[in-house]
Amino acid sequence: MSSADRLTKRQFVLLLAPALVIVLLLFGGGLAYSGLQSLGWQPLIGRTTLSLDAYHNLLFAPEYRDVFWTGLGFSLWISLASTVLSAVLAVLIALLIQQAAERSRFWSFLLQLNLPVPHLVAAIGMLFLLSQSGFVSRATAALGLTTTPADFPVLVRDTGGVGIIIAYVWKEVPFIGVIVFGVLQSLQAALVQAARNLGANGWQRFRYIVLPLIAPSLLSSSLIVFAFTFGAYEIPALLGVRYPRALPVTALFLFNDADLNSRTEAMALSVIITLITSVVIGGYLWLRGIAHRLG
Amino acid sequence: MRFKVCLMVIVFSLFTSVAFAQEAAEAPPGFTSWDDVLAQANGQTVNWYLYGGSDAINGFVDTFYAPLLAEAYGITLNRVPVADTVDAVNQVLSEAEAGVTEDGGAVDLIWINGENFFTLQQADLLYGPWAHTIPNSVLVDWDNPAINLDFGRPVEGYESPWSSAQFHFIYDSARIAEDDLPRSFAELTAWIHANPGRFTYIAPGPGGYMGTRFVKQIFFELSGGHDQWLGDFNPALYDEWAPQVWNLLNEWAPDLWRQGETYPANENELRDLFANGEVDFAFTQEISGASVYINAGRLPETARAFAFTDNMIGDFNYVAIPSNAAHTAAALVLANLILQPDLQAAQVLPENGFGLGFGIDVSRVTEEADRLVLETAAANLGAGAAEPAELAAALVSDLAAEYQTRVESDWEAHVLRR
Repeated sequence: MSSADRLTKRQFVLLLAPALVIVLLLFGGGLAYSGLQSLGWQPLIGRTTLSLDAYHNLLFAPEYRDVFWTGLGFSLWISLASTVLSAVLAVLIALLIQQAAERSRFWSFLLQLNLPVPHLVAAIGMLFLLSQSGFVSRATAALGLTTTPADFPVLVRDTGGVGIIIAYVWKEVPFIGVIVFGVLQSLQAALVQAARNLGANGWQRFRYIVLPLIAPSLLSSSLIVFAFTFGAYEIPALLGVRYPRALPVTALFLFNDADLNSRTEAMALSVIITLITSVVIGGYLWLRGIAHRLG
Repeated sequence: MRFKVCLMVIVFSLFTSVAFAQEAAEAPPGFTSWDDVLAQANGQTVNWYLYGGSDAINGFVDTFYAPLLAEAYGITLNRVPVADTVDAVNQVLSEAEAGVTEDGGAVDLIWINGENFFTLQQADLLYGPWAHTIPNSVLVDWDNPAINLDFGRPVEGYESPWSSAQFHFIYDSARIAEDDLPRSFAELTAWIHANPGRFTYIAPGPGGYMGTRFVKQIFFELSGGHDQWLGDFNPALYDEWAPQVWNLLNEWAPDLWRQGETYPANENELRDLFANGEVDFAFTQEISGASVYINAGRLPETARAFAFTDNMIGDFNYVAIPSNAAHTAAALVLANLILQPDLQAAQVLPENGFGLGFGIDVSRVTEEADRLVLETAAANLGAGAAEPAELAAALVSDLAAEYQTRVESDWEAHVLRR
């Protein structure tokens, strides 16, 4: 590469500037304002003194703490379960598609089919499909397997978050799958072949050759899924129960409370959600840095 | 002589200033007269933010109000559908936070309820007082506490009524005979235990104010009457009866839909459960009961409405104008138009899709022809409507706003999270 092709540091910064300005102004600005409001800044109703009261209330005050801690547990449960299930299924499916060799293009097209479907639509679809009076329930009733809607198992709006997890897995498997499949495609077939020649069985080839190679993209895409599912509102709102409810749902409840004072707690909760996802992603980047240095 | 002239001048100017003062008091704030309002409104576009989740209501507004506004007043109606009224409130609040205060706001008129009215008053973002200055306010019974109080809060001219509503129930006459219907909470308790899994109610809380109302009505029945609950929030009275209400609801829970593990969040979810045959009762607020939904094909032809013999909460709903509205004049004209007798008659008829009750007092309508139209409409509410006499006999008013907040948070703590 000649030096003319290479960007100077200054050119690099200039080219990135438009995108950076938008991110910093719109996202950073919104975040900073949320932070300010979470400290009690509400000039509209004459509140201008700053304190950490809202955070304290959420964590310890009797009217919030129960909803907060169970919500935290519930949100972590649905995010972790959705992420792990999606990752495992995505790897399995990607491997299967790769095995299909000559027909892999058709299967990978099928895998990507639901990527453009919005999460909101996915949630409503699940509701139509899996509720106690949904299509599946009607089908089992037509087949004589169930007689009343109540006979059908509770799969959506259940206290365990099963419906939410199903909807997330349906949406996120293709997301992780497409990324992993892309990496698999670019793998050196010779590496796997060599391992086979050296007597490695299927599991060993996966464990020692394929997995280390797909691990970085699998991990980063899984983290995106975790961060998204932890902070997203629409699927838990539509497919969840009133209690326990995910943290983002509670945050919007508080934001829309008729009493404007509740907005302080709403913003504090949003900041906490942001902090948790930041810690997870920060932790990942830190670990990756260590792994990198260790080679 | 000079003294006399002086006196005459003084007296005369006093008279005129009094006359002007009266004129000014009758005009909405910022306008010199109703004619001034009409003149300024001509050519404006009024941005009306209202709940857009019902195609029938949207159709009614577009069919009955938009053409009339355009023809008679030169006003273009821009109906802005929102998923929840709180979205319109948030728009106004965000504008205020961003410094859009004078008359640059996007919202001109909001279809509002007591909760959101409180929010905007808390932030001092409503225009007014104006409700008594629009010509058709003479048709409104402003002496009625159900109108001059909204969720127990004084309206004080900052919102004007559109229609009325009363809590009652929908059932399917093909599933339950009229004689077997419960007519009180005591009878409902027996019915629930005799029909496990077939009843649920809306969770009191965000979006579920009909559930809150349902629970408030239990307070009335258990405590032996509604009258003692009127007036300011009475913590002692509430604390006396609340544990008994939570006990009753917890006693129901094992025999409710999904064993009371969860509850529908709003009336649409409950109505869907009813339409899908999961439960046997839905709630309604509409004077035409099930008729609008039967017409829309969303409930079976055999759906009917009924009320308990007592304690069915009724109230009015309103429109309000934000203080930063860009088209206050057009908003005032629209707020006046919706109280016009022929349009009030149209709004109760189930085939027109709105289905809520009158906002005006029919007895105040002096025009014979208008009276007749209103009375004819009231007599044609469709087979899905409850008997008007049944509703009237059970009518009680809503309570101070503090009860709403307490019922919602305590229900969550003592019933949902039990």
